[in-house]
Amino acid sequence: MIERGRISRIQYFSTGDGDGIRTTVFMQGCNLRCAWCHNPETQPLDTAILNYSEDKRVLSGEDITADELFKRIIKDEVFYIESGGGVTFSGGEPLLQADFLSGVAKMCKGRGINVLFDTAGCVPYQCFERVAPYTDTFYFDVKAVTKEDCEKYRCGDPKLVLDNLKRLCLKSNVVVRVPIIPGHNNSKEKIEQIAGNVADAHPSRVDLLPFHRLGAGKYRAMNKEYDYLYTEPLKKSDLEQYVCIFEDLGLKCRIEK
Amino acid sequence: MNKLNMLITEMNSIDFTNRDDITAYLAYMGYREHYAESSLIARAYATANLFKDHKPFIYNYDRILGSINGRYAPCGAYSQATLQHAANVCASYGYMGFYQNIDHFTPDYPTLLQYGIGGMLNRIDASEAAHKGDSDAAQKLDFLQGARVCMQAFSEMVKNYACAARKKGEETQNAELLMAADIADKLAFSKPDTFREALQLVWFAHISFLYEGRYAMALGRMDQYLYPYYKNDVENGVITSEEAVDLVACTLYKIAEKKLMNAPTMWGGDVVNIAIGGLKRDGSDATNELSYVILEAVKRCNIPGPNLSARMHKSTPDEFYDACLKVIGTGLGYPALMNDEATVPALADCGYDIEDCRDYSMVGCIEAFISGKQPPWADGRYNTPKYLEFALNDGRCMRDGVLYGLKTGKAEDITSMQQLLDVFVAQMEFGALETVTIFNNENDRYNRKRYCQPYLSCYCQDCINRAKDINDGGAVYPSVYGLGCMGIATVADSLAAIEKTVFIDKKLTLAQLRDILIADFEGNEELRQELLSLPKYGNNDDFVDKYAVWLLDKQYEIFSKLRTRDGGRVYIAMASNVQNISAGSVCAATPDGRRNGAPMSDAASPMHGMDRNGVTSVVLSVSKPDYTKVACGSVVNQKFTPSAFSSDEKIAKLRALIKVYFARGAQEMQINSVGRKTLIDAQEHPERYSDLVVRVSGFSAYYTYLTRDIQNDILMRTEND
Ligand code: SF4
Repeated sequence: MIERGRISRIQYFSTGDGDGIRTTVFMQGCNLRCAWCHNPETQPLDTAILNYSEDKRVLSGEDITADELFKRIIKDEVFYIESGGGVTFSGGEPLLQADFLSGVAKMCKGRGINVLFDTAGCVPYQCFERVAPYTDTFYFDVKAVTKEDCEKYRCGDPKLVLDNLKRLCLKSNVVVRVPIIPGHNNSKEKIEQIAGNVADAHPSRVDLLPFHRLGAGKYRAMNKEYDYLYTEPLKKSDLEQYVCIFEDLGLKCRIEK
Repeated sequence: MNKLNMLITEMNSIDFTNRDDITAYLAYMGYREHYAESSLIARAYATANLFKDHKPFIYNYDRILGSINGRYAPCGAYSQATLQHAANVCASYGYMGFYQNIDHFTPDYPTLLQYGIGGMLNRIDASEAAHKGDSDAAQKLDFLQGARVCMQAFSEMVKNYACAARKKGEETQNAELLMAADIADKLAFSKPDTFREALQLVWFAHISFLYEGRYAMALGRMDQYLYPYYKNDVENGVITSEEAVDLVACTLYKIAEKKLMNAPTMWGGDVVNIAIGGLKRDGSDATNELSYVILEAVKRCNIPGPNLSARMHKSTPDEFYDACLKVIGTGLGYPALMNDEATVPALADCGYDIEDCRDYSMVGCIEAFISGKQPPWADGRYNTPKYLEFALNDGRCMRDGVLYGLKTGKAEDITSMQQLLDVFVAQMEFGALETVTIFNNENDRYNRKRYCQPYLSCYCQDCINRAKDINDGGAVYPSVYGLGCMGIATVADSLAAIEKTVFIDKKLTLAQLRDILIADFEGNEELRQELLSLPKYGNNDDFVDKYAVWLLDKQYEIFSKLRTRDGGRVYIAMASNVQNISAGSVCAATPDGRRNGAPMSDAASPMHGMDRNGVTSVVLSVSKPDYTKVACGSVVNQKFTPSAFSSDEKIAKLRALIKVYFARGAQEMQINSVGRKTLIDAQEHPERYSDLVVRVSGFSAYYTYLTRDIQNDILMRTEND
């Protein structure tokens, strides 16, 4: 077991990802550079600095031991018990630190805490195997399924991602998450393409994540270009239409609010 | 059928400007007929005249009659000289205010409903017969006569409303008004039999208190005392829940009259507390269908006046939590959520019968009150951080050098944390005694035999039977005084900062720190930043949380030794209303890094912006102190973005959060859900937000009515997603 890991930050009372009241641990470091990423500060493997203003600077990237991380997670144990919540490992790409996190997840599991991994899935399958025994649910992002799209938007190798998804679904509880990004996959045909591939894997559910611009401030704070500054939010009718596409293929599907 | 919107439109379309308040004149017309009699009787006739002689005002869309419009007359209807003379006469009879136990009261409505006005008059007669031979019969019979005069006048007032409604109903062929007239006619003497009748009688009584000039008169546990009528009506097909919602809403919306008639307070109206849910007298769950009806009605009104409090306990249904949270999510800021598991034992500790404790309600903002069994409420503020200032500066104010506190010795001679705490306690004790003494002097300024309130006494057990005034031994329990102990977080953070920098790290001496505070950190900004970065209350860190626990225990110890004029308890509150701002303005810099004059921490909440680890840590910290020692109540403000209420799932998460909070023994939480952007935009464009209601402290208010510093205070509260 690797003793030290690197986190970006911990968010308590995180209610957007998974059941109940959760603590989300954002891991530092990602192997992808998705064009719309709303956590750009988690991308570098070392650290990043967010310069919000003269007197507000935030450092992303803190080394932490497994014991210390576990301690911070169980602080909120009463809330997990009352709400049926638990811990979510997100990022960045949490599975880049699968060795470290398997240790932490094991401790959580031992304590009866629900464990969820939120991954982009573009890692060797062994990484999944390291954490799967201690994981209740995987949130598995599928952003694009063609080689061209994936290259264009810097979101990984679709073959590896889809192979991993299929294998993982055989053994684990997997929820596929599809971010709907205007100009990229915000069209009937793109969603049909994605849905077809996802349906083959038989995940337990599909969540559609409507695009939002909440990450814009971070790009500014990192002095980076953000391509989506003026992108309009999605139309409800479009989203509902996409839900139908997944449902027609026999998948449970909903829109994340 | 939803008649609320029509009533709202009508009320808001009437021009209520250019009028004079004529209540003094109406009272004067009562006095002048009775100059020769005792002041008690003369005062009763003055009240009676207010009831009888005001002109009943009926709205076209009235469902429940009763308006304060009769307090006003068009400018010029009475000459200024007449009004001035009337005011002079009234003033000569004396004026009792909040500090003399006059309002902030939950009337004993269950008894009124049980007997009706006629039955109340019979009770007065019976008491008169029973006390005729007493040695102090003269005083008692005078008192009962006063009660009779007022109660009879109240009956006449109800009849006058019946007449006016019938007249208008006939003129406009309005069946609703004719029905209301029939009901009022019946209620002028008989007890109510239906939900609508019961609600109408309660509202008439509430309106009568407003004619007397009382403020913050609570409606108490409406879902309890109206429930038998509601249940019966539903079972007999007389009413549906939807109909009940509309009736209640059409009643409560009238609280807005105070704003519409140009008598707004800072928050634009009255604070009429209504308690729903909670425990029954026998300890079982009291939540019922009417709790939901009232919740829905208050939501539809969308005004700050009905200050709704939802009482929670171990077996409160989840459904009730969720219904409350959905109303909070609309942005209104209420209901405030109250924990019976803390408040009931806190009240029981004051010696009340346990069944009465379970039957508590709230008056004003959050003040726990034994419904209809104790004199009206009074409270004040206690500026706790100031006593720490005295402890560090030998009893002297750091701002003007004046000796307000005790001479407890110089900071140079304080060599341990324990010694500092002891000195701090000595300062607090002295300040508490001074504060309560000043109150008692003020409270006792009026002779309780002459300055009676026979009408109000009719709404308090056991005044009629004892033939004694509510403030002269008539009430079942003695008067109480509440003290809002402010700045718990500022003090806890400051003590932790002293322990760390002075006594553990020995970075500087206590005397050096004192000098730095007196100089308001001038030239020591680096140190100030360091102090700000130390552990703070609200982050579930025992190093600092232990001082919050300690402080509350000490304040309980100090105040529970003191008594009011008639032997009642002095309650503590962990609340500050909005005085955390003014309290801060008179305090020098504090060791937590707060600058001279800056606001104190708000109520029982952590200091603004210092809750760095999110709301779960706030919950874990703030639930550490022992609130079963806080009989008055506490206020913990939390702010969530509207998205936290956007789905049933998210509501369930908030419910889980609050259940943990209450299971750990915390007492109160109130939630603002108006987004930051909206609040900022409303500062820039107040004209677009005249209806925006937000939670301030123990009450909600129109945001645009608030002063800029209070608006900013709300903005500074940490916002949770
Ligand atoms: S995988 Fe996630 S963290 Fe990594 S770049 Fe893409 S969106 Fe950002």
